[in-house]
Amino acid sequence: MSIEVRGLSFGYKDFRLSIERLRLENRKVTSIVGRNGAGKSTFLKCLAGVVPVPKQSLFLDGRDLASLRVGERARLISYVPQELTLALNYSVLDFVLMGRAAFISPFSVPSREDLQTAGEALHFVGLEGFEKRDFSQLSSGERRLVLIARTMAQSAEILLLDEPTTFLDPKHEIEVMNLCRKLALDKGKTVIVTLHNLDMAVKYSDAMIFMKKGKVVAFGKPDEVLNADLLEQVYDIPMAIVPYNGKKIILR
Amino acid sequence: MRNKKAKILTALLFLLPFLLTMASLSIGRFHIPPKDMGRTIIQAISPSAGPKVSTAYRDILFRIRLPRLLLALMAGAALSISGASLQALFKNPLVNEYILGISFGAAFGAALSLVFLGKNFPAQIAAFVFALGAVLAVLLISGRSESHTVSLLLTGVIVSAFFQALLSLVEFFANPYALQSLFFWLLGSLSLATWKDLSISLPIMAVGVVALIMMRWRLNVLSLSEEEAKSMGVHVRREKLLVILLTSMITAAATAVAGVIGWIGLIVPHLVRMMVGADNRKVIPLSAALGASVLIIADDITRVAATFEIPIGILTSIIGIPFFIILLRRSRKVWL
Repeated sequence: MSIEVRGLSFGYKDFRLSIERLRLENRKVTSIVGRNGAGKSTFLKCLAGVVPVPKQSLFLDGRDLASLRVGERARLISYVPQELTLALNYSVLDFVLMGRAAFISPFSVPSREDLQTAGEALHFVGLEGFEKRDFSQLSSGERRLVLIARTMAQSAEILLLDEPTTFLDPKHEIEVMNLCRKLALDKGKTVIVTLHNLDMAVKYSDAMIFMKKGKVVAFGKPDEVLNADLLEQVYDIPMAIVPYNGKKIILR
Repeated sequence: MRNKKAKILTALLFLLPFLLTMASLSIGRFHIPPKDMGRTIIQAISPSAGPKVSTAYRDILFRIRLPRLLLALMAGAALSISGASLQALFKNPLVNEYILGISFGAAFGAALSLVFLGKNFPAQIAAFVFALGAVLAVLLISGRSESHTVSLLLTGVIVSAFFQALLSLVEFFANPYALQSLFFWLLGSLSLATWKDLSISLPIMAVGVVALIMMRWRLNVLSLSEEEAKSMGVHVRREKLLVILLTSMITAAATAVAGVIGWIGLIVPHLVRMMVGADNRKVIPLSAALGASVLIIADDITRVAATFEIPIGILTSIIGIPFFIILLRRSRKVWL
């Protein structure tokens, strides 16, 4: 499922996100990078529909996102916010099951099929055997994996992950990014992540969106768009790109 | 093994209210031999069966004890399930109908109705209107931000205090006779239960409790952040409002006939979470079962402990609070 942005404009009091034109393809991992406050999360929230999106600005395979009903949209797009709030201590399986909400009536409980879907999602992220563990007792890395499993249980075509690798150790960081690739290539999902680690973004994404002050500064394949001038423009600090073993390493 | 134990515990908890109701029918100042009790019950079902028993037995069982027990059963379930649902909804284990102003809103409404509209007008209506008004006032004043636990609790305290003041005002203007019954009712008592009051309150509580039990899994999803729940396809505002309506409705129905019975809605869901974890699929129905049992036991105690009757609202607070503190300190398991 592809996403098309046509003249999106959304804002708060002293911040405005405005994106002229953008097309995000399926079977691809697209990463959004930029400084804090550049509008990355706001863009994801617009895509997720958790903020009121203006009409005729976001399209999913040609359908206006603003015209979709809440339940309908949730079956197409899933979203993991940056911050986790958790007041009650659910088990890992209960947590993943919540991803099925769009398929279950408010007055009903998950069926055997829902349980199976949740179990498969846990298996996919490599957390089988964790079903009964308490979510609050997991490490940050494991929590992120559980959240990815939850979005998978939602069975949506588009996955939006807001800073899924922040606070993670290098091993978990790689694990999460590998999962993103697997979701895009093996499952055909459209994966969109916001990232702060540029090296990871370059290595794992098919396309990169560079954002600054609510606007898209550059968009394209990492190899094609990435250069030191762009990085300096986006991050306001000098950066250098050096080749190392056939890879590009970003120095700051 | 652990699974099996949990299942047996769950089954026992669900059976408990019914066993207690049966047992409590025979508890009271007036002793009824078990044999006569059995006969009275059988004759109530088919009047021609067996030798005649005293009509006094029948009156005591069916006009005094049974309505009271049914009220304890349903009010216990209603107050506990309200607490459990609100705790999930507000992602806050300290919230209950008492703290959100629902209890005193309902109490004020019911008192107002009793004093100015008289006993023949159902107090449940005014109780519900003001209960809902109180909780909506709390939500509006504390703001939409859901992370502000402190502001929510503080606003709840303030709104509760406001309705308590209004309640005092009603008491001030009430005539001495009305005041006396108002006083005992406010302390929380099941002794005033008559079939007429119950005929309104019991169905309301039953409907609300069943609806909340049906929503038990949805409450898991509603306990996530609003953005998360929304992105999962939940009409968050609409469904939250529905849960608030239901909890206000059943709390008002309980308060209108039984007065303010505090702490049950806070303690019972915690006890249940300590036993079975946080999953509302278990917590919601088990809170209803345990709440019903606790209130029946509490009522049994008020009936037999002293020569006079202790108001049950006082008893639940005096026993409940220390009990809760002990449990809080002893339990090492994280259940919040």
